Amino acid sequence: MADDKVMIIMTSGPDTPRRCATPFFFASLAAAMEYEVTMFFTIDGTLLLKKGVAETVCPKAGGKPVSEFLQDAIEAGVKLLACTASTELHDLQPSDLIDEVKMVGGATMWQIAEDCKTVLTF
Amino acid sequence: MANVRGCNLPDDLYYLVEKHVWAKPMEGGVVRVGITSVAAKLSGGKLAAITVKAKNIGQEVKQAKSIATVESSKFVGPVPAPVTGILLRANEKLASDPNLAVSDPYGEGWVAEMQASDWEAEKDSLAIGAAGIAAYQAKLEAENITCS
Repeated sequence: MADDKVMIIMTSGPDTPRRCATPFFFASLAAAMEYEVTMFFTIDGTLLLKKGVAETVCPKAGGKPVSEFLQDAIEAGVKLLACTASTELHDLQPSDLIDEVKMVGGATMWQIAEDCKTVLTF
Repeated sequence: MANVRGCNLPDDLYYLVEKHVWAKPMEGGVVRVGITSVAAKLSGGKLAAITVKAKNIGQEVKQAKSIATVESSKFVGPVPAPVTGILLRANEKLASDPNLAVSDPYGEGWVAEMQASDWEAEKDSLAIGAAGIAAYQAKLEAENITCS
């Protein structure tokens, strides 16, 4: 049983690589602190979940790609949710996204936010 | 001090091998806990922070649940409790120099002290002595981990 629930809302995407690692790092860190962690992807954040994209985004030249930060978060038990409307924004099908993501509507985000002790937005 | 695949592992400590943490009984049921040289290696060798969760001080933490976090530029992960107990205090030296946990993981780099809830019952779940080192060695070999 997690001590508390927290959520990270991820709106940054491949256009801003330097904004794309820390949210996953913070998510993994929160999981290591026994928080129950949800990342909610919307706007451009959803693009990071498109199969094959996170591998191509590097916050630091020559450093770890976002895919490794994403994988660390998944292994730490972070739940990934993506906003259905954001997939329409980018003409994506749910099947275009990695398997670990669950598609939800915006109302789910509000319900989780109400349940969470802390919500961060990137 | 045993040297297993380049990792220093004292044979007088109790290990929760799966989690790469050690426990050392002190006086009055207090148990000092820390990370092993293996955990230090796996975390990338140069740490940015070790942070004991302040909210947990004075609270009971179950065995294998997180009492602290380790951060480096390459890694973030928990420091799981080797035993169930009340978290008494953090090693304040780590706040200014987290790398003590790498350079001296069994000495100055200890992470926290706990008041064990039932040490006598729980110590049997930990590895110690020659058999404990052998169990740890088996894990390192199975996962192809070396410290050198």
